[in-house]
Formats: sequence, C-alpha cells, structure tokens
Amino acid sequence: MAKHKKNRNVGIIGIGQTEYSSHKEHQNQAEMVNEAVRYALEDANLIMDDIDCVIHGNMELFEMIYQPDMWHEIGTGAYGKEEFRITTGGTTGASLVCAADNLVASGMYDVVLAIGLEKLQEGHTTGGITNMACPLWFRHIQTGALTGTTASAMIDEFGEERAKKAAMKYRIMMDKNACLNPRAHRRFGLDYDQADDLMNTSPQLVGDLRLIHMCSQSDGACVMIFASEEKAKELSDKSIWIRDHITVHREETFNMFGFKKPEMTHHYAARKLFERNGVKDPVEYFDVFEMYDPSAWWGPDWLREFLLLEGDEHIKMLEQGDFDIDGKLPVNPSGGVIATNPIGATAMLRPAEAALQVRGDAGKHQIKGEVKHALASGFGGTMWTVLIMLEKYLDW
Amino acid sequence: MAEYFGVAVEDIFNTMEERFRKEGAGGVDAIFGYDISGEGGGKWKVTVKDENLKVEKIEGDLEGYSVILDTDAETFVGVTIGKVDAGEAFSSGRIKVDGDIGLLTNVLPQIFAKYTPPAKEATAKDIIDSMVDRFRPEKAEGVDMTIGYDLTGDGGGKWTALVKDQTCKVEEGLASDCTVTLQMDAKVFVDLNLGLIDGTAAFTSGQVKIEGDMGAAATSAALFEKFKVAGAEEAEELISLKCLPSVDQRFATGPVMGKWFEGLKEKKFYATKCPKCGRTQIPPREICANCRVRCTECVELGPKGTATFIDIVYYASPDPLTGEVRETPYGGPFFMLDGATEEESFAHGLNPKDLERIKPGMRIRPVWAEERTGSYTDLLYFEIDD
Amino acid sequence: MANKRVAICAVAQHKNESDMWYKRFQGMLLDVLEDIQAQTGVDFSEEKGVTNIVSCSDDVFDARTISDNGVTDVLGAQYRGEEKMAQEGLNGVGYAMSIILSGHDDLVYLAGHCKESQPESRDMCTNLGYDPFYGRAMGLDFTNVAGLQARAYMEKSGVTEEHLAKIVVRARQWAARNPYANATELVEPGEVIASPMLCDPIRRLHAYPVSDGAVAMLLASEDRAREFTDNPIWITGFANCMDSYFLGDRDLAGNSALKKAAERAYGHAGIKDPEKSIDLVEVMDAFAYQQPMWMEGLGLCEEGKGDGFIDEAGPARYNVNLSGGMLAGNPIMVGGMYRVAEAVLQLKGEAGEHQVSDVNRAIAHSTTGGAGQFHTVVVLER
Repeated sequence: MAKHKKNRNVGIIGIGQTEYSSHKEHQNQAEMVNEAVRYALEDANLIMDDIDCVIHGNMELFEMIYQPDMWHEIGTGAYGKEEFRITTGGTTGASLVCAADNLVASGMYDVVLAIGLEKLQEGHTTGGITNMACPLWFRHIQTGALTGTTASAMIDEFGEERAKKAAMKYRIMMDKNACLNPRAHRRFGLDYDQADDLMNTSPQLVGDLRLIHMCSQSDGACVMIFASEEKAKELSDKSIWIRDHITVHREETFNMFGFKKPEMTHHYAARKLFERNGVKDPVEYFDVFEMYDPSAWWGPDWLREFLLLEGDEHIKMLEQGDFDIDGKLPVNPSGGVIATNPIGATAMLRPAEAALQVRGDAGKHQIKGEVKHALASGFGGTMWTVLIMLEKYLDW
Repeated sequence: MAEYFGVAVEDIFNTMEERFRKEGAGGVDAIFGYDISGEGGGKWKVTVKDENLKVEKIEGDLEGYSVILDTDAETFVGVTIGKVDAGEAFSSGRIKVDGDIGLLTNVLPQIFAKYTPPAKEATAKDIIDSMVDRFRPEKAEGVDMTIGYDLTGDGGGKWTALVKDQTCKVEEGLASDCTVTLQMDAKVFVDLNLGLIDGTAAFTSGQVKIEGDMGAAATSAALFEKFKVAGAEEAEELISLKCLPSVDQRFATGPVMGKWFEGLKEKKFYATKCPKCGRTQIPPREICANCRVRCTECVELGPKGTATFIDIVYYASPDPLTGEVRETPYGGPFFMLDGATEEESFAHGLNPKDLERIKPGMRIRPVWAEERTGSYTDLLYFEIDD
Repeated sequence: MANKRVAICAVAQHKNESDMWYKRFQGMLLDVLEDIQAQTGVDFSEEKGVTNIVSCSDDVFDARTISDNGVTDVLGAQYRGEEKMAQEGLNGVGYAMSIILSGHDDLVYLAGHCKESQPESRDMCTNLGYDPFYGRAMGLDFTNVAGLQARAYMEKSGVTEEHLAKIVVRARQWAARNPYANATELVEPGEVIASPMLCDPIRRLHAYPVSDGAVAMLLASEDRAREFTDNPIWITGFANCMDSYFLGDRDLAGNSALKKAAERAYGHAGIKDPEKSIDLVEVMDAFAYQQPMWMEGLGLCEEGKGDGFIDEAGPARYNVNLSGGMLAGNPIMVGGMYRVAEAVLQLKGEAGEHQVSDVNRAIAHSTTGGAGQFHTVVVLER
C-alpha cells in the first residue's frame, strides 16, 4: 500500500500478448513466453539490451515445474540480467505489475519487463487449485475455485429471476466483448435471446453456478514493459502511467460464510485506494474497468464491492447497460476472465488491456471516447485482491 | 461396393491411368497380374510397355504374367493406402507373390503415384458406424456405461453405444437407461469429431447438451480412437509427453492441528479461542489473523450446528484422498457449529440422503466413522438433525 | 540506486533441524514473527505499522499451490499487502528494499520458510526444475548437477578432497557456536573423506543436511529505522544475475553470473576494491566445493586459485560463514535469508559465541538453479 508519494513515476511502455487458446501443442512453455516477450519488445520498439530486469510469474503446481524461471530463461531473455520471480496465486499477474511499479519507482531499475504465463493444458487446473487448500483438512472438501455460494447469496438478495438474468446479462455481455477481441480464447457468439435457455439448461457445476458462467482454462502469456518517467519519455510517446496500486490478502480459511459477513477484501482495497487518491465517485471517475471476474456471478457481485455501490445499484447499472462496451463505465471490453484465463497471466491481462484502452490501441474492442482513467483488478487465493490505477496524463 | 478403410478395390485400378508416371516407366516391359479374393475383388491385368499403360479387368486364369499378386481385398487396399504393413502381410502369407517380386517392390512405386483416396464429407452415421472399430478396449477396463446420441437436424438420428466388459456395441435408437445422453445438431457432432470445433467450447456455449453423468461424457472420449475421414490428409502429429510427477509428502500437524485430530477421535470439535477478541477458529489455527496473537486456549464447539450456505457440487473433480473421480452430485454445506463466533463458518460433506432437503437455517449434526484414527475420514459427513 | 537508504532493523531465525516433524511451518513462522515483534515492538496497524509483507516459500516444497496462502495469518498479513518471492529468499530482501525505496511504504516485514523434510526427497523436488523433455528425464537435480560442477571446478582450481574436508571441518567448528545451526557435531577430516559418495565427487558430508527452517526480518526506511532499533544495518548494494539454463551453454567452473551480480552490487555500494573493503562474507555453500568457488566469483579469491585460498586461511581472512554456512544446514529456499540474518547479527555485534570484532561491511550471497544458474549478492553495512 502506498503511504506516500512515489519516489518517481512509472510508465507502461510496451505490451505483448500471445493469442490465448485451450491448447498450444505447437510450442513449449519457454517458446510461448518468448513469443509474448518479442511482441512486447516490438510494441515498445526496444531490444532486450534495453531491459534491466525481468520479473516472472506463474503457478508451479499447474505445470509441475519447480522454479520454472530457470528453464524459461531460454525464452524470457533474462540471461545476464537481474531477475525476480513473484507469485501470489490468481493475483500473480497483477502482483507482477505492482512489483514492476515498486522496482522502477525505487530507482533500482529503469526498465523492467514482466512476464505472466500459464499453460493450463499441461496440468489439471481444478486439481491444481484444489491443492491450495490445507492438505490436512480442506483439500478434501474443495473443488478448485468452484462455488455456488455467490449465486445463492444473490438469489437470496435479489430474487431468483432477477439474479439469474443479471448473471446471464453479464455473461453474454462478456461474450460479445470477447468476440471483438481477436486474442480472446472463448468467443461463442452468444446473443441475449439465448439467456433464458442457457441459464436453465447449461450444466450445473455447483448449485446455480453453471458451466456457461464459469471462466475458461487457457494457455498463453502476457508481457509488459515498464520504465521510469525519464526513461519512458525518452523511449516512448505512448506511455501509460501507473498512479497507485494496493494489495489486500487475507487468511487461509474460506470462513466467510457464517452468520456475519466480513468486509470483503475487494471493498476494503477499493475504499483505501480511492480514499488516498481522492477518488470520491469511482463510477464517475474511471473510464474503463478491467476486472478479474472468474464467473458471471462473481462479476456483477464484485462490481458492487469494487465500485463501492450499495443495495442493487450494481444490478440496476448492469441491467440498463452501464457496463456495456458503449456504456457509462465499460467493464472488461476484452471479454474478461470468463473468456480468457491463463491463470498466471490473467491478472496481468487486466492492467494490460486497460492500458491498451487508455492508449487507444485496443483495436476492435476499443471503447469510444477518450479513456483517461482506468482501473484494473486481480483476484486470487482466498479472496485476495489487487487494484491498480492507470492514468493517461501525469496530472494527478 | 465393398469398401475397406473407406476405399474400394476398383477405386485403385480405376485411378491407375491418372496416377501413371511415364517418366518412371522408361524401360519397363512387364505384365502385372492381380488375383484379389473377397467381396469387391476380382482379377486385373496391368500391362506396362514403351511407357504406355493398359489396365483390364479379366476373367479366367492368369497366365503369362511377369508377376502375379494373390491377396484378399482388404489386405490389398490396406497395403496400397498404407494402413497395412506390406512386409507383414507378405510374411504372414496374406499376400502371395508368384514371379519377379522386385517388380512389385521396386518398379511399381516408380510407375505409379501413391493412391490417395478422395476426401469425402463425413456424416454422423459414418462416425457412429466406425465407433466399434475405433473402440480401445485397453482404456475401458472397469467401464460400464451406456452413451446415448441424440443427433438432430440433417443426417441426424438416435443411437446408443454400450460399453461393458471392455467391449463396445452400437445400437439404433436411444436406450432408456443411458448413463449419459449427448444431444446436439448432427453437424456439430461431425465437426466435433473432426476436431473443427472445441468440445469444451461447444459444451459450454450450449451447442452440446449433456443429460446424466457429465463425468461419463468426459471419460467416454478416451475410449475411442479419433475419427478420421478416409483419405483425408493427416496433419503432422506433434508429440506431447505424459508424465505424472509424484513426490510423497509427510505433513506435520503440529500441536494445534494435532489437538484437532485428537478431538475427532473422541467425536469432539476443538477450536482455538483468540485471547484478545474471543474469536473461535476451526480447524484451529496457531494465530488469530485479526489480532495477530498466538492462540493456545482450545474450546469445544458443536457438535451440532446450523447450515448457512449449501453448495451442491455437480462437477466431477478428483477426490484428493483417492485420486478417483468423485461421485456427483455431492453436498458441501457451510455451517455454524454451536458456540462458534459469528464469522466462523465450517464446511464438510453432507449425507447424500439429505441432498434434496437441505436448506440454509436447518440444524445439522455430525455422523462419525465407527473406527476413528485421528484423520479426515473420522468424520463421515453432516446430516439434517431432525 | 536511489540516495535514500534502507535498513534491516532486526532479524529472527528459527533453529534449523533436519526433521521438524512436530511443528507445522505455520508454527515456525509464528515463532519468528513473535521474535521480531518482541525485538522491535513493531505492529501491523494501518497508520504506523507494517502494511506490506514479503514472504518467501515454494509451492513444490510445500506441496501447495499458492504456498503463501497457507501462512498469510502467521505473516501478519490479514488485510494487508503481501507478495511472495517465489525464488531464493535473498531476492526477497532486494524486493522488500524496492518497496521502501519506491516510496510506496516505509516498513516491510520479510519472512520465509521451507521444510525440506516434508517431501520424500529434496532432489525429487529440484528434478522438477528441469524441462520435462530432456533434463528431467535424464534425472538431473540440484545435487547431481552440482557434482558435475564440482568436478569441473576442482580440476580448474586444484581443490582436492583434503581441501573439501578442511572446509567441512571448519564449518562444523563454527556451527557448534551458532544456536540456530543444524549440523553442529564436530567432524574429523578423515570422516569427511570416508563419508559415502552422493554424486561423485560430492560426498555426504560435502552436502548441506536436509533442513527445516524459517527466518524473518524487519526492513525500514532511513527515516523510521531508529524507531525499531538503535543499531540499524544498511543495505548498500543489491544485485542478482541469471545465467543460461542449459549446462552445456555455460562454463560450469566460470562463475559468469556471480561475477556480474557481484560487480553490480559492489558498484551500488561504491566498493572499488572488494579485497580491501569486505570484512565478512556469508556465502551459500550448499556443497563444500562452492565455498572457494563462490569466493572466486565474489572477487575475493584469485581466479582458479581455490586451493591456495583454503591452504592460506582465506576463509579466516574474510570471516567466511562464521554461522557454519549452508553446510551447517539451512533449507534451500531461504538459505540466502539466513546468510543475511547472520551477517546482520555480526554487524550489530549480536552474534553471541561466534561474534568477531571489527565487522563494518559484510556480503550475503545466495544461489539457486542447478549448478549456480542464478546468483544474488547483497552488501550490508553498519
């Protein structure tokens, strides 16, 4: 958490992504990383010599590689350079962005390249996630990241019909966005008239969490390049600035389903971040929000937390199209996590896609109008959250 | 016409003219005789002389030939299109050769371009019909399932595949007791089998509807070889390595979790109690995360409690205890044990008999294993406390 | 490096043992957390306390996806920022320093753990660090590739079995004075030379013992360090360097990554002549041959003269591994953090029975990856 003003400003000067898909038999992990590294260097118009430090992150137990940055070295370009490996579960990609922000702002490095990746096809994803639970107890109970509790809570609060429709509205909105993003993994071409059918016939996973609601399992890598203000101005004319970031973790147990619900980390993080940056009304302030939304139930539910909304404000906004790509506050014009989920990269895709929106370089899924202020979130662990604020101008 | 591997014997002779390569036939003066038995077979005379070719279907005895090849129709087609190993067929006597064998092995390949069967549109029926051939008994050990195919639209129909005792048979119509029934458009079925669309995506987006055991649907794919259209070019197959890294672990329980397991032996739930805020934690923790103080005092909770949230799981995930796919659906209720502080929910399995009835707010009680050893399995599940 | 400095205010080590079967790693981390709080009085309040935590552990060794999720509470990280250095823990020191230098925060709590006794074999874990196509199938792990490197280095430097025995004997002598060390039994050179061969030329007593441990420290900005200690130790240089993955691409006896890391770290600390400027060195000598080899890489022993370095009491001259070093037993992931902790104790004058005098500047070193693929160097000053 930033308690003080940063030592120096940090800009995002390059972004590279592989295409995302359910399988990438044509390349191994190091090759996949290399593809994204090359795209990012190309985007920034740099060569590897310009990079001072590389940061790497993915989950060891998904691909079953111990310290994978050692093998991936042949693709990361870290040879002879400084390197860190930082992982925090689902939030890894966002943590890498925070780390780059810290490392560059510290003055220790001028140009940092961060890599988030996962090749989920090379392991068992749900099994890998289940392994996060304590082997002595909860590992026997957990089913990956699947839970129907949010669906039950929303149905309780807003009624079955409204809640289920809201989840489907969110789901189809995400698919429509994904269809505009050529790199997105799952692009179904869903339409709103399929909502009723899908919400009743899509196979149930857990309770009212159905297959259609759940995020994908993808292979892919995302790379971002960061530079100090001075360097960024010298190297790039399209820098996007990291204004601030916040990380909020909580304990191991999923003990938030009792008689009293604790303040969600999402809400806590947003409250603290907006307070210290003087953001009074996040819906008004931000022009785009790239949110880590693992399911079409968590998506709308978490909008209330992150945007500090109350009651059914978030459902209303969703219903009236405020979060649509041409709405008041577009959410996940990229299609979000439901479309694309290479876990170690997923949380980096959020600030990366948000930065592309600010740059105006998002292509077909570029939202209309100037994007000056962007918000990006990461999610992982037992409700861990990371929030990152991006700005077009250095004027805050 | 009888087809083998999707190709008729006649197809091969009828295409000889177009496959004939003059440049390979220089100096060859030979008459090839073919005596092919079985359905679709017959006798052919192929004359190559002065860089010219003549192919005739004939009756009667074969005489005065440079070489005569005597085989059955299936082997002939198989060897020609590379599905049957020629050397093996020859050594096993399925192919007999009379005359100059060198003409067959050395000269023939130079005279003719390789026969490639024309690609044809696969139908859902082709795919269903080939299932028995594509069945992999070695993958079906212990599998007993009935898979229904309800394919709608053009070229659709209803079929049932029965897999039992490592055999597979396919019947017309839908059986009444299918383990799982797959419903989709026939076109989607064909595209899926040809790998043109992604299975998970088709399933997720609702193009494929699955009734019954989802896990069975997932495992059934592995029971069959991939369907291939006769004559289609095979893409270069990339090699992937399969391995299951395994490192045995021995997890310490320490004094805190140790106390918990001791408690289970005596049908007791021990929670740690925070010395500062009074929060109870189950399973117990070394520390109260909120107050950041060590917890040493233990209190007994429950054993009964109140359900707060109910998760009914339909997704067939592996059971970490056994590695087997868990039977679905199963219940995973969250509940508050009596005496717990208000944020401290607990979760465990549910007695399957209560799956339909369980609701938030209901009272629940633990059901213990008869023999308890201080482990997870000491507690069978919770059930409604009527 | 930025002109502001970062201090290590306090360090806490859990005693290393070969099989801490009676304690979860959560319990180990709680012990060091309490130790740090007792020493410094630091809390985790939003206003003045620690709000950023850096942890170090490993998913494969813990057999847990997101290993830091299991220990968030004993890191004090409830509703606080926490990030895991999923790499050798000494890099966590560098990262924690960056959080403070960036201005994001002025305090960082850094803690790491590893229980090598939990998996059936640590070599099976490090075997998973090799690519699944070739290296892993060949059976490479951190011990047997060290064997390859040991052979190459001994040939180059003239280091013999007798030299290695000397190193081990000395390590145990110092370890016996270190209350946190694992292998503290004194040994004779003959025992070392007679100990069973693990991976030729590495014998069992040349290899660090399987160890469980946890270690923590509190870092603070220059402005706040004295709130927590009268005796802050300053991090004046940090650098690391990655070498190539394939063993065949490297000169195994060449120290190329370590030389670069050392050169950069010295540069940050303004060290021009390391031989004259460094009073104490803690190197990560997981295997005996590594002690002289890493000293060469650090520029404190002439290239290829490891034999003379041992013969002429080089280790005593530079106060190398007065803790007993890795040979006395620290687990792999946090071995580098223990090096820092020991160097800090010496600089503070709090090393107890193994304290030496006049230590003003010390080096902590760590390595990870097979045969030293990756090296980290930290310069610490009083």
